[in-house]
Amino acid sequence: MIFKPSTLFRFKNYRLSSKLILVYVLLSVIPMSLLGLFSYWQYEKSIEEQIGEYMPRFLMQANANITKHMEDFAELDTLMFNSDNMLAILRRDSYQSRSKLNQDQYDVNNYLARTYLNTGNPDILGVFLFSKNRFFYSARSKFAGLGADDALIPYGQDLNLTGKAKIILPSQINLVFENNEPYVLIMKQMNDVDNRKSLATMLIAVKLSFINNVLRDFEQNNTADLWLMNREGEIIFHTDEEKIGDFDTEINRYPILNGSFRKGSGNKAVIVSLSESLDFNWVLAHSIPLKNLTERTDLVRNVTIFVFICFVLMTSVLFIFFAMKVTRPIKKLSRLMKEVEMGRFQVDLQINSSDEVGTLARSFNSMVATIHELIETNFDIKIRQKEAELYALQSQINPHFMYNTLETINMAVEEGRSEMVVEMVTLLGRMLRFSVSNKNKYVPIADEVQHISNFLTIQKYRFTDRLLFEIDKKTDIDSYFTPKFILQPVIENAIKYGLETRKVLDIKLSISREFGAHSGEEDIVFRIRDNGPGIEQERLEEIERMLRSETLVGKDSGFGLGNVNARIVIMLGEEYGLQLHSIHGKGTEVMIRIPVINKEE
Amino acid sequence: MKRSLEKNRGMFTVMLLMVFTATACSSGSNNSYTVIHTIDANSGSEKQATHQKFTIGIVPKVMGISYFNVAEEGAMEAADDLNVNVIYEGPPIADAAKQIKVIRRLINIPVDAIAISANDPEKLLPIMLEAKSKGIKVITWDADTLPEGRELFVNMVETESLGRHLLDTLAWNTEEKGEYAIMTGALSASNQNEWIKWIRQQQREYYPKMKLVDIVATDDDPQKAYETAKQLLVEHPKLSGIIGNSSVSPPAAAQAVREARKTSQVKVVGLSTPNLMRDYLKDGSAQMATLWSPKKLGYLTIVLAKNLLEGKPPYDGDDIYNVGHIRVNGDTVIMGEPLDFTAENVDQYDF
Repeated sequence: MIFKPSTLFRFKNYRLSSKLILVYVLLSVIPMSLLGLFSYWQYEKSIEEQIGEYMPRFLMQANANITKHMEDFAELDTLMFNSDNMLAILRRDSYQSRSKLNQDQYDVNNYLARTYLNTGNPDILGVFLFSKNRFFYSARSKFAGLGADDALIPYGQDLNLTGKAKIILPSQINLVFENNEPYVLIMKQMNDVDNRKSLATMLIAVKLSFINNVLRDFEQNNTADLWLMNREGEIIFHTDEEKIGDFDTEINRYPILNGSFRKGSGNKAVIVSLSESLDFNWVLAHSIPLKNLTERTDLVRNVTIFVFICFVLMTSVLFIFFAMKVTRPIKKLSRLMKEVEMGRFQVDLQINSSDEVGTLARSFNSMVATIHELIETNFDIKIRQKEAELYALQSQINPHFMYNTLETINMAVEEGRSEMVVEMVTLLGRMLRFSVSNKNKYVPIADEVQHISNFLTIQKYRFTDRLLFEIDKKTDIDSYFTPKFILQPVIENAIKYGLETRKVLDIKLSISREFGAHSGEEDIVFRIRDNGPGIEQERLEEIERMLRSETLVGKDSGFGLGNVNARIVIMLGEEYGLQLHSIHGKGTEVMIRIPVINKEE
Repeated sequence: MKRSLEKNRGMFTVMLLMVFTATACSSGSNNSYTVIHTIDANSGSEKQATHQKFTIGIVPKVMGISYFNVAEEGAMEAADDLNVNVIYEGPPIADAAKQIKVIRRLINIPVDAIAISANDPEKLLPIMLEAKSKGIKVITWDADTLPEGRELFVNMVETESLGRHLLDTLAWNTEEKGEYAIMTGALSASNQNEWIKWIRQQQREYYPKMKLVDIVATDDDPQKAYETAKQLLVEHPKLSGIIGNSSVSPPAAAQAVREARKTSQVKVVGLSTPNLMRDYLKDGSAQMATLWSPKKLGYLTIVLAKNLLEGKPPYDGDDIYNVGHIRVNGDTVIMGEPLDFTAENVDQYDF
């Protein structure tokens, strides 16, 4: 009734905290309340069962007790057989004279009084004997409604075979005692066992108080009713004296007569226990309202319910708090994720707990950091590569050199040295083709060295004796590769500074394979040594610093060394690059270290 | 956030409400009866209704004499009361061989139980064992056999007290002296021999002046008994008393005494029925008769036989309806105390 289908369907759309609370209710509050309900119900049922099992037994016991008493009363007729005289009188069936009959009557009445009233059971109200139209009696109080004419009592017939005593209720007979004393009659057939004949019918009137005494011993609970009724429902005895003689109209609707059952329900439920006595055909009944039995339990139930409510409220508050605590970092995380989505990487999910949420937060933080880093490096590498390419283009033959070369050629033409002109133009052409034709980043070392050789040859034409150069190939330069244009800027640099101060500039280029401390492998090393002015110590340090600094932006674009170094670093890694050795006034050595590159990549 | 909290609170209230309505709810319509516990009370007493109708054969020592006729009345009364078939059949004369024939016929009918008043404690044993082997319950009544043959013996009175009492009744009338004779039924009948044993014992203990002169058998035949009594009076002229040990003997003796006009000299006592003795008691030819109610005995025999068939052996103090309390001593049931019949009270009895 609470979960409509649509509500259920929407469950997955609930907030996490709502779900958690709902789950809590489902998993703890409902089972707990059901458990409580169930156990209370079971307890009530077990009380009911206990009383339902115990009461019929007790009633059976009480019934047996009453029956025992009744049988004791019923046995009283045997006292008559103890006296031969009485037996003789009872066997007598005719009299010659009235006085003889009266004498017998006197004898028997006296005997009854002596035997039954004076010395017998105090519960006996009177004894009546019907025998062959004679009526003998003895009673404690005056009575009316019973005389010799009542001898043919109709109930005399049906008990003939049973031999058992029969109960006669006041409603079935006219007998009334003084003060309306309540009584039951026990009727017993007296048989002459020797002659096999019926001798007399004895009626013993018994006070009901004896039943009361028996029952009182068993049940002291005032709210319970105990009564004895015959099969027709006529109440023989009732703990409420006013009900004696009334009828229990429900007797035919009772489902069983031996056992117990619950009548009605709710507050009006009554547990009725019955025990039937077959000997006297009566039913002993006990009824007690269920609520009286469960009075004590009800207090327990109310307390339990109260405690349960308090508990539920308390745990609910705690649980709501808990649910909030669990969901708060998740909410924060989702908010931060949105920020990251927007491109703001400077976020920090500050959760220091070491549980799953804390782990998640740390992972998130490191993930964001890693992403940030990856973006930055990839971005920078791209930029630097572009820059390197740009520098490579810049490092190609510069206009200045072209101008000077063409000037030299011009002069040679004017001087008519045609051979020299041809040579220079050829060299220049090769240089230009090298610059233009090769689109690859890497070229065979041989080509690079050839290019430098061409460059230096042209320069030598220009400066004739002032420039000396030497190329020393200590390794196989044909099979390895190198980035393009790494030597030209260095050589240009050496020529530029060297010719300013020296009359004769001597440049030595050597290529060799050496073991590199940084890379841990054999590297290829280009050494360009000149006998130029050298570099002052301060300047040297400045240049070194410049070479190590990562950013190329803002660098003096005309400075070729930085250019070369940066390109090598970008292309081949930081282990490689340029190194400067210089002694001021003596010369400079530039070492270019690259890895052994086997083929063009 | 706040909205969700309110939503939760609403959900909670609903839950709690549901729990409480469930608690408060206890269903059921009024005036219903729900059985909690049933006791199967008195189940034993219902059994009788279901059994098949038993057939019980009851065999007297002899047919046609008053004592056993009266016993038959009692047995038939019990047959009516207990709803069993009773076949009362005995030999025409008190003879073990003829009794065996009767028993065999009963076995062949067949019957469920046989009650035998034995003429001979030993001769009947084989046929009784045969009956037993066929699943028939065998008991004895009135006169016992060897205990192997039967499950129980329905005895009328205690043999010792009856035997002693019989001599006492004679002694009261003979001033505790003189010769006396015993007329018994058959010399082989065990119950009678038991009584004789105790008669002699009583005499030895208390009545030194009395003398047992003869024990004669009558074969439970009234005519033979009468002849025997007459012979006794002739053979023992000083005889002062006769004890009749079987029901035909005292009337026969009284008849003989009356005819011999020796009523003042010879006193007659013994076991016999009031009807047989009434006249002799009243005219003084017999002084006292002692007996039990044979009707009651017949009745009790049938009741006990039926109880046995239903697997209910008798117990001491058992109150048998229409009989009274019985005593049980081992496998012997004792019906009660003997009755003495005199001229004064004999009219109270009609058997």
